[in-house]
Amino acid sequence: MALPNQQTVDYPSFKLVIVGDGGTGKTTFVKRHLTGEFEKKYEPTIGVEVHPLDFFTNCGKIRFYCWDTAGQEKFGGLRDGYYIHGQCAIIMFDVTARLTYKNVPTWHRDLCRVCENIPIVLCGNKVDVKNRQVKAKQVTFHRKKNLQYYEISAKSNYNFEKPFLYLARKLAGDQNLHFVESPALAPPEVHLDIAAQQQNEADLAAAAAQPLPDDDDDAFE
Amino acid sequence: MDDLEQAIVISFETGAVDSALKSQAVTYCQQIKETPSICSICIEKLWFSKLVQVQFWCLQTLQDVLRVKYGSMSLDEQSYVRKSVFSMACLEVIDNENAGRVVEGPPFVKNKLAQVLATLIYYEYPLIWSSVFLDFMLHLCKGAVVIDMFCRVLNALDDELISLDYPRTPEEISVAARVKDAMRQQCVPQIARAWYDIVSMYKNSDPDLSATVLDCMRRFVSWIDIGLVANDAFVPLLFELILSDGLSEQVRGAAAGCVLAMVSKRMDPQSKLPLLQTLQISRVFGLVSGDVDSDLVSKVSALLTGYAVEVLECHKRLNSEDTKAVSMDLLNEVLPSVFYVMQKCEVDSTFSIVQFLLGYVSTLKGLPALKEKQLLHITQILEVIRIQICYDPMYRNNLNSLDKTGLEEEDRMSEFRKDLFVLLRTVGRVAPEVTQHFIRNSLANAVESSSESNVEEVEAALSLLYSFGESMTEEAMKTGSGCLSELIPMLLTTQFPGHSHRLVALVYLENITRYMKFIQENSQYIPNVLGAFLDDRGLHHQNFYVSRRAGYLFMRVVKLLKSKLVPFIDKILQNLQDTLSQLTTMNFASRELTGTEDGSHIFEAIGIIIGLEDVPAEKQSDYLSLLLTPLCQQIEAGLVQAKVASSEDFPVKIANIQFAIVAINALSKGFNERLVTASRPGIGLMFKQTLDVLLRVLIEFPKVEPLRSKVTSFIHRMVDTLGSAVFPYLPKALEQLLADSEPKEMVGFMVLLNQLICKFNSALHDILEEVYPVVAVRIFNVIPRDGLPSRPGAVTEEMRELIELQRMLYTFLHVIATHDLSSVFLTPKSRAYLDPMMQLVLNTSCNHKDITVRKACVQIFIKLIKDWCAEPYSEEKVPGFQNFVIEAFATNCCLYSVLDKSFNFSDANTHALFGEIITAQKVMYEKFGNTFLMHLMSKSFPSAHIPQDLAEQYCQKLQGNDIRSLKSYYQSLIENLRLQQNGSHVFR
Repeated sequence: MALPNQQTVDYPSFKLVIVGDGGTGKTTFVKRHLTGEFEKKYEPTIGVEVHPLDFFTNCGKIRFYCWDTAGQEKFGGLRDGYYIHGQCAIIMFDVTARLTYKNVPTWHRDLCRVCENIPIVLCGNKVDVKNRQVKAKQVTFHRKKNLQYYEISAKSNYNFEKPFLYLARKLAGDQNLHFVESPALAPPEVHLDIAAQQQNEADLAAAAAQPLPDDDDDAFE
Repeated sequence: MDDLEQAIVISFETGAVDSALKSQAVTYCQQIKETPSICSICIEKLWFSKLVQVQFWCLQTLQDVLRVKYGSMSLDEQSYVRKSVFSMACLEVIDNENAGRVVEGPPFVKNKLAQVLATLIYYEYPLIWSSVFLDFMLHLCKGAVVIDMFCRVLNALDDELISLDYPRTPEEISVAARVKDAMRQQCVPQIARAWYDIVSMYKNSDPDLSATVLDCMRRFVSWIDIGLVANDAFVPLLFELILSDGLSEQVRGAAAGCVLAMVSKRMDPQSKLPLLQTLQISRVFGLVSGDVDSDLVSKVSALLTGYAVEVLECHKRLNSEDTKAVSMDLLNEVLPSVFYVMQKCEVDSTFSIVQFLLGYVSTLKGLPALKEKQLLHITQILEVIRIQICYDPMYRNNLNSLDKTGLEEEDRMSEFRKDLFVLLRTVGRVAPEVTQHFIRNSLANAVESSSESNVEEVEAALSLLYSFGESMTEEAMKTGSGCLSELIPMLLTTQFPGHSHRLVALVYLENITRYMKFIQENSQYIPNVLGAFLDDRGLHHQNFYVSRRAGYLFMRVVKLLKSKLVPFIDKILQNLQDTLSQLTTMNFASRELTGTEDGSHIFEAIGIIIGLEDVPAEKQSDYLSLLLTPLCQQIEAGLVQAKVASSEDFPVKIANIQFAIVAINALSKGFNERLVTASRPGIGLMFKQTLDVLLRVLIEFPKVEPLRSKVTSFIHRMVDTLGSAVFPYLPKALEQLLADSEPKEMVGFMVLLNQLICKFNSALHDILEEVYPVVAVRIFNVIPRDGLPSRPGAVTEEMRELIELQRMLYTFLHVIATHDLSSVFLTPKSRAYLDPMMQLVLNTSCNHKDITVRKACVQIFIKLIKDWCAEPYSEEKVPGFQNFVIEAFATNCCLYSVLDKSFNFSDANTHALFGEIITAQKVMYEKFGNTFLMHLMSKSFPSAHIPQDLAEQYCQKLQGNDIRSLKSYYQSLIENLRLQQNGSHVFR
């Protein structure tokens, strides 16, 4: 099967699949990049929307075709059909809603069944919200499956570039690849409490030294 | 392509396709999905279409239909679907040369087919389709394609139903149990046999297929009979694979994964231990020395760490001597490799180094003496800790300048180090000597090291030393136990590489401070210590963070060494001159750090040294004036400048004055009252002159809050230092502080008055007589007569300030009363506030939510009654007071408030309050005699419905001498009354 007929560009482009429960902020996240538009109201994605996002690296320009998939529908649409020929992926959950983290393994499984061995980033979104339910140290799934994890805040642009940079490095096979100019981002809607976030990151680092719980449920109760 | 195929292909497209066409295609697909014959449409397409999109869509649709409508499908239809997909999976040929083969498609199509089969198993196994696994196995002989498909089906079954990695509904859990039970009974042994045969057969010809089978088998180990895999056939095969150099890493790693699954299987330790023993794990030790990044090395590392965890667990849980010995032997065997893995390889993410090592070290705790092997392990553990806590040299510059990245890295590391340091100290308790030697060697090696990361190594070694010291006893530190007596001199005399780095310099100074107990006992090293703090390793370090921290640490060191430093005073002052003048002339804008590290500690340190009695008097006053004069000049100059400063400059000028006051305050801490007032009054004079200067600040800028609070602190300090010599300054100072003060500032003012009263008692009478009326008028203007409501819930900031003020007022009144100063309430100027004051205290004693405040108010009453009421029947000193006490206080507080159910006798604070109330009653009887008793009998008690006989008994007790029996009688009286009143309510 050929790649869908995106308008082609003369620089490297990759199909990036974004999955995760409905309402975790997948659409908001991709729309922070100003080549996409910007939307405030929550409207569930129907099926899939593809956004081409360009980044400038020291090795030249690259493009991610971000397949922003619907997190909600059960039986309509193509669902995991959209993952076919995905070259990299982002799994998104919402740190203020436990269930969305609980469902991460399922999204990961469904993704891996269609795309074997692609680089995947796990993103905990909405870290700007004060009352988070999934603490940084409770996030352990990525360690079991060798994924990269980032805490992000789509609303405040916090860590926006990190997932893309990680995937670009993996896809290029070059650990030293870096972005040479920041992509144009929509202005942040909220400002992140950097001190609180640093605490979270410290928690995360500390958590890395901890043993994994036997069962994921332990992390939630 | 027919219409459906076209529609499917179009609906997979994005971008270039016309959106109207696309939505038409999607709608068409959806309509087809709803048709009754959808299953046969899909199966037909699966047999003949070669388009992967079509294959995928058909399989996805089949799975959806099964999930939604399985129950409503006819038996024929169910059977048709079952037979068709099974035939596809097993390569059963149909009679048509155009037929496509789904199992030869891309992995995502094969996985989808496996999902459909797993969905059928969910509904049909074992009742409807009991033979699915046995039937499938008959086709395995067809080779790799079917074997691969078989594994995909088993994996899909695990993913969709069995694995505990995914959230499951209760229904799914019960279906999983049903499927597992049936499989265990019916076919698991055959499946295991098939795994074995396939791997044996294909290990050389098709290692990828063998790896697929092993990866599949790994998933099942946790719930099948362990004997099916941990046996004489499988274990040798698995190890043969792991150890075969010629094979691909993938299959070798997959075999290691299977062994790890066996090792980790939940089992009774009694049977686990023999299993671990039979594996002869040492066979694979050599493999971890391969390429660190290889898949095999990481799989074998995970196996070794997983194995070690299980052995340790067996050691913990089995108590017989035999099993302890066996498990300890296994542990000793595997540990060197585990240490190697920890130091050289990427550690498996499920394995916690610290937790495992803590577990191991705790097995050594009870042992009388450690064997050579165990001591070797201890050294290895220490080495693991050392390696883990080393910073990455790539952050060296960030950490030095403490930019954003450096700050993040330091936070991360200090969090990460916490557990490792707990481990270090645990090791240090089990084997103190080994630990000390290790630290000494790391330090020595780091100094010698020519490696690129020597700065990080020095930092790590110093951090080990620092953390180790936390668990050291004072005694061990003093005597320099172990090789400490060698370590500390080495620390003091060695030139460390990277001392210019912020982290190295900081941890170096922290170490010196931590081990000061040793220096105290070995004063020959004092010059070294001073050198470290005074030269460019400390206060003169090029890094601002280091020099500021050094100021604070130097103060702590000085506090410990005190008089031992007298011979070095000149040297110290000489070395500090530039630092001091820098601090005092510095502009506030460049003062970056505020709070605890504002630089004032260095003044405190100097104050401590020059304030010592051992310093000759003349020198002492020279030193002090050398320091005080510029500071006072700075304040005076600042005052002049601030007056004419623009609004922009004003805060800077104020901050400079503020810092000078703080510095003077810090400096004065080293001088005690005896020295300043008795033995060296000249010094006292200098402080008095300074006080004069500082009071002028209040006159010039009475409304600038930071200055006001700093001067107030200094007055507090001078009350302690100068003693009664401060008296002449008080009227002016208090007058200034009182001028235009806000409620918040009144609080600080009363704190000062309380200190003065407690220090000087009745000597303060005259001053207080002047001040009290002014305080009273201010406060009663803002506080309502019956006190502030003490309702719970949100309060505004202003309200909070008033509540704070009121609380301080109670303390103030209490302090006045209990220091024999109650006469200030009675002076002509104060008289007007007597009534509101008494009303407030009365209300508070009855109602305040804080019981301790109520107690204080009752105590105020007791004292006032004692002070103001002479013997019975004599003339009243305060007319009306006796009546007020008997009618209001004795009834409302001593009776009604106690009767209230909220008065909880079992609460300790309330109990103490009750004691004070009893004392108050006793005092009232002593002072008022029968007048008090008559009022009780005729008014108070009847109003509370206390029966006559009980009231009489109470009065008798009150007249007796036994205060304890009075107390217990009154309590039982109250409790009875509460009961009765409850009863009467019920009858009404």
